[in-house]
Amino acid sequence: MKRKLQALSLLVIVGLVSRPADEAVTLSLRTSGMLSRPVDLGLREGLGQMGFAASLGGLRSLVASITYLQAFTAFENIDWAKVDSLFQLTTRLQPGYATYWVEGSWHMAYNAASGYLFDDKLRPAIRRQLARDHVQRGIEILDEGLKFLPDDPQLWVTLGAIYERRGLDPLHDRWVELDPKKAGECYLRGHKNGALQVYERLGAYQLVKAGDPASLRTALEVLRRNYGMGYRTPGLIHYLKLAEEQLDIPSAQRIPDADPTPGGAR
Amino acid sequence: MNGEATAPSPTRPPAASRFVAFSPSRVWTLATATVTQLVRMKILVFLLVFAAVVVAAGFVFPVMNPEQQLKLLKDVSFGALQIFAIVIAIVSTALLLPRDLEDRTLYTILSKPVPRVEYLIGKLLGVLLLIGGGLFVMDAVLSAVLWMRQNMVLDAAIHSLEHENKATPENIAAQTAAVAKQGLTWALHAGVLAIFLKAAVVSALALLISCFASTTLFTIVTTFCLAIVGHGQQMLREYFFHGFSAVGEKAASSALAIICPDLGVFDIVENIIKGAQPSGADLLHMTFMALLYVVGYVAVAHLVFVEKEL
Repeated sequence: MKRKLQALSLLVIVGLVSRPADEAVTLSLRTSGMLSRPVDLGLREGLGQMGFAASLGGLRSLVASITYLQAFTAFENIDWAKVDSLFQLTTRLQPGYATYWVEGSWHMAYNAASGYLFDDKLRPAIRRQLARDHVQRGIEILDEGLKFLPDDPQLWVTLGAIYERRGLDPLHDRWVELDPKKAGECYLRGHKNGALQVYERLGAYQLVKAGDPASLRTALEVLRRNYGMGYRTPGLIHYLKLAEEQLDIPSAQRIPDADPTPGGAR
Repeated sequence: MNGEATAPSPTRPPAASRFVAFSPSRVWTLATATVTQLVRMKILVFLLVFAAVVVAAGFVFPVMNPEQQLKLLKDVSFGALQIFAIVIAIVSTALLLPRDLEDRTLYTILSKPVPRVEYLIGKLLGVLLLIGGGLFVMDAVLSAVLWMRQNMVLDAAIHSLEHENKATPENIAAQTAAVAKQGLTWALHAGVLAIFLKAAVVSALALLISCFASTTLFTIVTTFCLAIVGHGQQMLREYFFHGFSAVGEKAASSALAIICPDLGVFDIVENIIKGAQPSGADLLHMTFMALLYVVGYVAVAHLVFVEKEL
């Protein structure tokens, strides 16, 4: 009996000692980015009891991969609502994984929006409305992702691409540039956080298209720097000249009318 | 003459006084015997299943982007590793004491000058050796398949860039970096270590429960339940106890910590799969927590087992 009491006391001591140690180690691992926050209780309905238990039991990444595969199947079956809800689950399971946010927004802003726009079974007004709503949904997904990963270059350039390419001309069923200023800012932010050099140039092109003096000055600075770095693509020269013209830069300070280097328009 | 030859040497101590209270070699003998016992139970068949799962996961999803293909391979493989480690930790530890009682091996061992604490440590060490060896083999299989798949995926991605006329050095470097981040890294082995540490804690817990449990089934079910609660301890603390008063929150958290270990501390695999790199300090912190639990639970198990009527 004495031993049993000793055992119970020791168990209590182990628990009391381990609790603050657990909390300190958890905090340290979270700070170093090795441990995620616990799964949101609201996911229980979407995942089911088994999925929720598995995601609790250290298999969260695997459960996220399964919901991702289910979303892929829903995409193949052209079930956009299901794609959206499954990507919501996937991104909430692993909010720190940028690819899930990017793919979720891509499905909505490109695949679903185009799917609705060219769906002959729907009336034209509804088609356009649904397409616009799904582009907006794609933007919302990325905005949500940026709350978790504010410095992720992949999210910024994807958002920039949507603002650049996914606007809808209300009179004709065709895509027009939606918001070049926002697109430019997103591309530049992406480049600042580590995206490829080409995104800095794409950002500057969009700012030239935006046309306001502040955007033009930023674009001019970026394009001149890229020009100095040896990037003399047709796109860069075209937009640089456009910016110089719109800002009334004196002729002596403009770039010469030389042939661009071959190798792509960007 | 004869009397001189048979008389004990004054410099040589009698056999009883040569007995040492704790002998690592006796513990090691018990541990290796436990490994043999578990191998004979054909527990390692799981390794073959694992190899099949890894190979299938590596090649069955070719339609996804390269990064996602590699992530999925790692997700499935690490999921299988965790299931292997936890199931073996619980089931094999739960089986050990009842099996030894049934075979009467326990009486043979304890009738010799083997302290009960050595018996317990030897058994636990045996289970950990088996789990460690299994994880090592599975880690090697995973590394080989991942390395192979990584090279295949990268070749395909570069070929695709060339096909689209976009194979600039900048694009190739970006693609190579993206694939390398999801490919074979040293951090993955740290993930395997984290799984091993978690399994060690669960084994020690199962050993403690089996010391007072009346049936194997009770040990298995109880340890599984405690392992699930242990994984959700952080969630319980943050979502349920948060509304309590400061004293209430502390009391509830302490009560929970007494009942089960916080296994969420070892769940770094999720972020390692995403490409995070753990530091030496992170691994030391986890090892410290695992040691704290294992030593604590073995000490409690000893206090229960030493009084157990066999």
